Amino acid sequence: MHRDEIPPGTLYLLILRTLARSGEMHGYEIAHSIQQISENVLQVEEGSLYPALQRMLTKGWVTAKWGTTAGNRRARYYQLTPAGRKQLGVEMSQFERVIGAITRVIEAV
Amino acid sequence: MDWLRELAKRLSMLMHRRQFDDDLEEEVRLHLELLQEERFESGMTANEARAAARRRFGNATYLKEESRIAWGWEWFENLGQDVRYAARMLRKNPGFTAVAILTLALGIGANTAIFSVMNGVLLSPLPYKNPKQLVVLKENDSLPNVMDIQRQVRAFSQGGGINVEPMDYTGGTEPLQVHVGHIDAGFFETIGVQPMLGRFISPEEDVQGGPRLAMVSNHFWQNYLGSDPHAVGTTIHLDGHSYTVIGVMPASFSPPVEHADVFVSLWVDDPGGAAERDLHFMHTYWRLKAGVTLAQAQAEVAALDRRLAEQYPAEEKERKSQLVPLHEWLVGDVRPALLVLFGAVGLVLLIACANFASLLMVRAFAGRQELVIRAALGARRGRLIRKTLTESTLLSVLGGAAGLLFAKWGTSMLVALRPEQLERLSGTNVDTRVLLFVLVVSVLSGIVFGIAPAWIAARADAAEALKESGRNTTASKMGHRIRKILVISELAVALVLLIGAGLLIKGFSRLRSINPGFNSSGVITMYFQLPKTRYEEIPKQTQFRRELLTRMDSVPGVQVAMVSDIPLGGNYVGHRLVIDGRPPVAVGSEPLVQTLSVMGDYFHVMQIPLRAGREFIPSDREGQPLVAIVNEEIVREFFPREDPIGVRICWAGDLGPPRWMTVIGVVADVKHSGLNQPTDPAVYTPFSQSDERWRRFMTLVIRARDASPGLVAEVKKQIWSLDAQIPVGDVHAMDELIAVSVAQQRFNMLLLGLFAALALILAAVGIYGTMAYTVNQRTHEIGIRTALGAHRRDVLRLIMRDGAKIALFGIASGIAGALALTRLMASLLFDVKPTDPATFAGVAILLALVALAACYIPARRAMRVDPMVALRYE
Repeated sequence: MHRDEIPPGTLYLLILRTLARSGEMHGYEIAHSIQQISENVLQVEEGSLYPALQRMLTKGWVTAKWGTTAGNRRARYYQLTPAGRKQLGVEMSQFERVIGAITRVIEAV
Repeated sequence: MDWLRELAKRLSMLMHRRQFDDDLEEEVRLHLELLQEERFESGMTANEARAAARRRFGNATYLKEESRIAWGWEWFENLGQDVRYAARMLRKNPGFTAVAILTLALGIGANTAIFSVMNGVLLSPLPYKNPKQLVVLKENDSLPNVMDIQRQVRAFSQGGGINVEPMDYTGGTEPLQVHVGHIDAGFFETIGVQPMLGRFISPEEDVQGGPRLAMVSNHFWQNYLGSDPHAVGTTIHLDGHSYTVIGVMPASFSPPVEHADVFVSLWVDDPGGAAERDLHFMHTYWRLKAGVTLAQAQAEVAALDRRLAEQYPAEEKERKSQLVPLHEWLVGDVRPALLVLFGAVGLVLLIACANFASLLMVRAFAGRQELVIRAALGARRGRLIRKTLTESTLLSVLGGAAGLLFAKWGTSMLVALRPEQLERLSGTNVDTRVLLFVLVVSVLSGIVFGIAPAWIAARADAAEALKESGRNTTASKMGHRIRKILVISELAVALVLLIGAGLLIKGFSRLRSINPGFNSSGVITMYFQLPKTRYEEIPKQTQFRRELLTRMDSVPGVQVAMVSDIPLGGNYVGHRLVIDGRPPVAVGSEPLVQTLSVMGDYFHVMQIPLRAGREFIPSDREGQPLVAIVNEEIVREFFPREDPIGVRICWAGDLGPPRWMTVIGVVADVKHSGLNQPTDPAVYTPFSQSDERWRRFMTLVIRARDASPGLVAEVKKQIWSLDAQIPVGDVHAMDELIAVSVAQQRFNMLLLGLFAALALILAAVGIYGTMAYTVNQRTHEIGIRTALGAHRRDVLRLIMRDGAKIALFGIASGIAGALALTRLMASLLFDVKPTDPATFAGVAILLALVALAACYIPARRAMRVDPMVALRYE
């Protein structure tokens, strides 16, 4: 099974979008969710995920609090803040602009 | 605001670092477990699942590090690591650590001590309201003039004057002399202080015939009024008059220059003196209006001077009022000395830092292989430099801390040595400004002088460094060259300091060898004043004086006389001189001469030689022809080609017919105002022929074979046997007065001498260290030379030539530096040129000798190198 690298700069966008969709998630769930929704194309490296979450905490885009999983284990749940929701908008429009541009370049005759 | 919130978050992460680590750990563990379960569910065995999960997860340590970096405290944590590491290294090398810390501590300590003094004297504001607005008139002035300035000069918001006179305070257990400040109502208002108890004298009370009111100092209140909280309203007796105490000053208050315990109105106490326009005896203080510059005020005062000169030509013709800011007035004399001393300690610190850098350089090379290995293992150069810098900064901060101890000790020494001019120094202590100074100086010296060694050492050419044991590599050669340059600069700076000290020492010895004009050894002086109430009239004064001297004749082993103002005693009375038969001079511009009254064999007792004519004899007394004795300066100035004996002189401005005095003798010049001051023309007259009732004061001069404390008691007994109500004031040995008069010069000389000695030692250590290192590096070469037949003295010459070259370079650049710098201390030198060739040569030779001696020790070691041992190194 071949998995693709996550394009640089889009990790925040993926995390923000994932959290926006499902409210609260812990680290494993975020990684798992991205992998599943992308149908196993995108795989988040744990080595990037956790530092990225920490950076997002410092920027105030997400908050973290401890809770328990369905299996009754302690887990740190991340949740989007209003600032994070705003950032998601910023990242989305940026992404769309870039993708649109790339598409135009590729499809140009 | 966002950055603030972010900073708060980051800070809280820093505070809860352990919690952070635990949380992350737990988070990662959960993640791993979930991954493992996922694998397990897809059909792997437990072991396979664990291995797969770990593989999938990657490097957990890296993840944790990256997560922490997200918070931006990496540098801080590394710093902690570096500091711990550096501390361990320093503990492992106690010798190096001790030398480095001691070197810096000496430099920083000396700097801090001098900075504390500068801080206390030059930088701290004066303890008055808005002290920057306060200015002083350089010349004393009379109350009528003060009042004219108060009324007419609009640049001043306030102004007032004070004159301190001793008065007799009776009512205590024995009669006492107290210093009384005669003020006008403007004085306290101008200075801007509030009384602790009671109030000040009001302008309505400050008039001729006003009520006798007194303000007292806190000191007086504590000592003579028993700290009575109800002291206001009580009565004290001064010179036989009753004064009502209306106020007590706070303990923190003292007049800017004057020492006074009681303050009374000049108008009330001495209406005669207060009204005299040409009695210029008040120190006056003025407060500039907000926004008015000194120059504006000066211009207004100058304009008033011209008006007063027109209005009162006889009294005020030569007015030349000059305004000076109060702070300047108080510290102006010591500022150049302090600045020179501060510059000098700065140089000492430079030398100390050069030694420090040199030490670091050696250490950095010793630890170079380790650095190379670290670099090879992937440490970044920046991180390596930082490691070495942390070490040097840690050392310099420790040095600064030790320096603070030195400084505390040094400051108390300075306070003990301080000359009178530095009296404000008593308040000197280590405050935040001083602490900040130490911190900045030590951190800066650590970083600035640590960076070169760190950088050179970190230029890690791994191959080269590992190949060889570090000897003769490019970097080590470069390091050695830098050390040589450091030592040359050290020697140069030390030479500058030594020359500075040498000049001061020479100047001081010239000053001390100046003949004061009298023989001070074995002379005791005793000041006192006859109370006005009982000795208003001159005959009563004369009777007392004569009787006292007669009684003193019965005391065995002493010679006694009296004079109005003793040399170096700080008092001076001048009159304008008229010489009989000379063409008249415009009123008010007659030459000013010092006038002294004497009784008894004053010139004998003081051993002032007679140059011509005769001395006073007992028959030169009241009712007899008036006589005078002049000093040689009078002859030089007014009788250059004429015999002064028999010439008649008198004082200008006397009312009534002139009182002609015949000059009967000439005595040698006396240094009255200071050994370094020119002698003024002076006229001596007998007390008994005086017509000046205000000369109620006198100083007994007593030459005794042995001046025991019993003698002073005996003299006091004789005085009190004549009048038990006379307070006897200051008792001083004449030698002590001379010592006090040169205290400032002595202070400068001692300190600069101390710094120069410190510099010399540090520079000697520096050149010794460098030469020892050279010898160490060249052991191999010397071994070969010896094996090939070189004699021991050839080896000695080889090393000494190296050292001599360094010393010569150092001395040459030091002389150049000194030629440029000693000009700055010209004002501190007495009778010595800043470029005095003898001093320059002598000091250069001294330094050369010390440097060669420091080289000789390692050179001898080189001489003894055993070729077999040296070659076995290979």
